[in-house]
Amino acid sequence: MKNKYDVILDTLPETGSRLEVLFRQAGDGFLQVEYGREQRANLQDSFRMQVVNEMVLEKKLNGLIETVPGIRTNLFHFNPTVLSPNSLIEEIKEAEDLVKSIEDIVVESRLIKLPIAFEDSETKKAVEKYTKEVRPNAPNVINGYNLEYIAMCNGITVDEVKQVLLGTEWYNSGGGFWPGGGFFWPMDPRCAIVVPKYNPPRTWTPEGAVGIGGPCVFTYTTPTGGGYQLFGRTIPIFQFSQKHPLFKDSPFLYRSADRIKFHEVEEEEILYIFEHVHNQTDYQYDITEDKISVKKYLEFYNSEEVQKGAKIFQEKQREGTRTAPRL
Amino acid sequence: MLKILNGGIEVVVEDWPGRLGYLGKGMAPAGAMDNVSLEFANLLVGNPVGEAGLEIAGGYFQAEFGADTVISVTGTDMKPTINDQAIPIWESVEVKKGDLIKFSHFSEFGFRSYMAVAGGIDVPVYLDSKSTCIFGSYGGFEGRKLQPDDVLKFGKPAQDLASLKDRKLNKKMIPEYSREWKIRAIPGPNTCPDYVTEEGMDFLFSHSFKIQHSSNRSAYRLDEVKPGFFAREDGGVGGSHPSNIVDHAYSMRGALNICGNTPIILIADGPTLGGYFCALSIINADLWKVGQGTPSRDYIKFLLCTPEEAIQARIEQRELFTEKSLL
Repeated sequence: MKNKYDVILDTLPETGSRLEVLFRQAGDGFLQVEYGREQRANLQDSFRMQVVNEMVLEKKLNGLIETVPGIRTNLFHFNPTVLSPNSLIEEIKEAEDLVKSIEDIVVESRLIKLPIAFEDSETKKAVEKYTKEVRPNAPNVINGYNLEYIAMCNGITVDEVKQVLLGTEWYNSGGGFWPGGGFFWPMDPRCAIVVPKYNPPRTWTPEGAVGIGGPCVFTYTTPTGGGYQLFGRTIPIFQFSQKHPLFKDSPFLYRSADRIKFHEVEEEEILYIFEHVHNQTDYQYDITEDKISVKKYLEFYNSEEVQKGAKIFQEKQREGTRTAPRL
Repeated sequence: MLKILNGGIEVVVEDWPGRLGYLGKGMAPAGAMDNVSLEFANLLVGNPVGEAGLEIAGGYFQAEFGADTVISVTGTDMKPTINDQAIPIWESVEVKKGDLIKFSHFSEFGFRSYMAVAGGIDVPVYLDSKSTCIFGSYGGFEGRKLQPDDVLKFGKPAQDLASLKDRKLNKKMIPEYSREWKIRAIPGPNTCPDYVTEEGMDFLFSHSFKIQHSSNRSAYRLDEVKPGFFAREDGGVGGSHPSNIVDHAYSMRGALNICGNTPIILIADGPTLGGYFCALSIINADLWKVGQGTPSRDYIKFLLCTPEEAIQARIEQRELFTEKSLL
């Protein structure tokens, strides 16, 4: 018998190409679609979700307000007086069933190249402020910054940390939490660094700061608090005023399934670009329209070389996690 | 226009339903904490449903009118006066250029008062809404609460001012206030048996939760849950605490987020995504009660509700905001 708190409205069975799909009640006007009963963070689930998400959005359902995809869940926000939960579920199921094989999936994914200045003076100020005002002697602050702690947690050197951040494309499983933000996951498992978040969080982080918390990289869109360990600073990815032509239609740069790739520059270049985005408004962003072929990605991901490298990396990481101070 | 003399505790420009469709961009809907009071205030001065008004939390707001107009005050009774003469609430009142309006503090029941002005508040529409998101510092009047010397402009009244004054809400329509707010809610997306025990869910739907003093437009914090609440030892790959989950989007507004052992109602300016699970959602038609809940004084009790009842309640609530509700 159903218990009175049962919230799974419907399911689709597991197939060779996907996990079981759960349709969870999430209020009058929200429906959460979840892949699998066991939690996992695997880009395959996100690729599939993006494709199904696009198919549902293309139906232009009357009453569907928005969707909010995450790494393994998608939240549908709708007006239930116009669109009934059951008919929405049917529409999603129809799209799900059309995606027969994960290998056929091609995800629309732009590649955005972003410069980064490691350990720049602005993010250093944020760390300094933290040790002065929030947590003196914080174990994640070594020599006035977080890079050594990130390295320690992953059993690698600071230089290797930089190479890891620069060495993979980072995939946006979807935005949220803070205006214009995205949650970026490494495409290359050999670059999958993981770190604990600040405890307690910072009270200030400059615009453009690049940080990592858990497995996700985040680029700070506006000055705010925050709990991610800091690498350095990139260029604006959000503009409230919408003065720059790129932000003319919306203040946001990122879309779900975008990838970013960092390259190292001097801090002067970051400051120059800030000026040319926010004041001169003539900076040209490096954005390429592109796609991810899941078949090709899986070939790369499952190749002997990548898997072997990932295993070696994970061993170092285990040792690092064991020995690094907890926060 | 309106010149602010005293910004009181927190006065912000809010409309309804707020800024919908940007959850995935990390932007909360914001909007009036008590939409019922705002809509009745709009109705009284002939404004279209959803127009922006002033949300006055706590009290002590004072301002001077720079033009003749018609206003209405609804919500908790802050004993408003014009030129030190008491004015009625839930009615429209004519004011003249140079008149001084003053509010005392929130009354025995309720916490927020709303003031509508014929023609509405003329602030820029940012991403489809005039609502202020204080947490993110955008929307409304310069993205912040009002302060002395701010000058607000009014829109153009829908009708002749003479025809808008002295309109009264039918007494039967005035919402019932309480010190213990009975709020209907739908379980999900994370309940029993996988996240919470049945006893834990019974606790959520029977305990009278005191509203903590740290509550604000983003979050209403409640009493901690009891031992035996969680149905699992930890959050698996989502984190070490059983309230942790791989980051997912939140049903904003109205989700009850279990943050460690603290249940937190996510409302108005709250986070759109995060790594804690959500055990229930307040139905859309009862969100207004949260807005009238007084921190450190009032209690909240959740009543189990079906999605069908919630949808019906939405429809019935919308029907209240028509001329038929006036005397």
